[in-house]
Amino acid sequence: MSIIEIKDVKKNFHNLEVLKGVSFNVEKGEVVSIIGPSGGGKSTLLRCLNCLETYDSGSIKVIGEDLKEIKDMNSFRQKVGMVFQQFNLFANMNVLNNCIFAQTKALKRNKDEAKKIALENLQKVGMEKFINAYPNTLSGGQKQRVAIARAISMNPEILLFDEPTSALDPEMVEEVLNVIRSLVNKGLTMIIVSHEIDFVRDISDKIIFMDDGIVAESGSPKEIFTNPKNERTKVFLRKVIRN
Amino acid sequence: MSLNKCLEIFLKYWPSFLLGIKTTLFVSLIGTIIGLLIGLLVGGLRAINVDDNSSKLKKFLKKIFNLISTLYIEIFRGTPMMVQAVFIYYLVYTNIIPWDKVVAAIFVISINTGAYMSEIVRSGIQAVDVGQKEASRALGVSNIDTMLHVILPQAIKNAFPAIGNEFIVNIKDSSVLMIISITELMFQSNSIAGTTYRFSETYFVTACIYLLMTSIASFILHKIEKSLSHTTTSLPQSDTNFSSISLAKEENS
Repeated sequence: MSIIEIKDVKKNFHNLEVLKGVSFNVEKGEVVSIIGPSGGGKSTLLRCLNCLETYDSGSIKVIGEDLKEIKDMNSFRQKVGMVFQQFNLFANMNVLNNCIFAQTKALKRNKDEAKKIALENLQKVGMEKFINAYPNTLSGGQKQRVAIARAISMNPEILLFDEPTSALDPEMVEEVLNVIRSLVNKGLTMIIVSHEIDFVRDISDKIIFMDDGIVAESGSPKEIFTNPKNERTKVFLRKVIRN
Repeated sequence: MSLNKCLEIFLKYWPSFLLGIKTTLFVSLIGTIIGLLIGLLVGGLRAINVDDNSSKLKKFLKKIFNLISTLYIEIFRGTPMMVQAVFIYYLVYTNIIPWDKVVAAIFVISINTGAYMSEIVRSGIQAVDVGQKEASRALGVSNIDTMLHVILPQAIKNAFPAIGNEFIVNIKDSSVLMIISITELMFQSNSIAGTTYRFSETYFVTACIYLLMTSIASFILHKIEKSLSHTTTSLPQSDTNFSSISLAKEENS
């Protein structure tokens, strides 16, 4: 059984059809990247996977649970972490407490254990020297690294990245991508929406190309980047690779 | 009007003035605090959004609550506190229970302030970036914990100047409560003026006392506001060194 099963998912925002029947599966431990032009429904689909967004028809199963029939939303979401484009760190908490808060409130870990896990993960992302800093004193890259540490501190089974580097200054993109790279091969299933083409080619097991609300093409990075079959994929790749 | 006479009145009647000051401060401080609590409750509930996937019951309750809270806010913001005070005081006094005037005064100030505070708190909550709420929900934190630990602390900080302002307004506006003859500053001043027949001098002293009280209050509030924003100044010292270390690390890898 796949860890994520998406079947013919459709969604409208008022009169705008953003998802027009999306289907694909993700296996446990896979790194899947979703690429494609803006407005193609990538982020919407990603946000459907942890119920931040609802869908109109079709079905999504995540870790064996049908998203329309989830009873305990909080414990479901604890298993599906998310890293946002805008970081969304808690502005009223320092770096350490950002990583501890959900552990103690949602997972009911005790303070010492949560602190230990938070420190471990902050070290992984290279932010252990900033545990007392507040988010508004950090750079974008630093904030995003903290946000990643916060997400992995929950020991999720799946981690969703919603354009994690799109809001960053160019010189900070690499530090965040390096952190994401370091998470690969830890058995964590990752779904990444990104415009960093070289990066997704490097780390993904599978690429999903979405355009205009459908999966136009999917396959291994090699298939997609060296031998794209769909005309829209070709046009898109020509554009982004020229840039 | 002579300043000498003012001083004379103050020196002679200061115990009466002092009693007035005490009552005024007591009533307005307690009233503001209870008002803030009402505001947190009403404003907090008003800020909760129902969306398409909320249950029918939730949507229905939200509608009812919105209707009631809107009525409450409009009525108490739209009528003078003086009228509210006499109306509520006598309504309860003659129909329910002969209650203490100070209790009545605090009750009136509280619900009056609560109406304003509800809107202040609601706008403070709405000023907190939605992304943080989403992040908290995405981490599996319950709505209530998200509200209590992420949203409200920031909302209160955002709204603190407006909340403090309500306290200052209450120090002044509690003067209308003389209508139910509690011994606040304005009521005391009236009695003093009535005995001395020195109206302008007495009320000049009164005005000075009000000004002094509001100035001190505003000074204290300013201090508190400053201490709330300490979060902007805790840059770690190793900041500049660290970025060069991390760059070196990346080159190695």
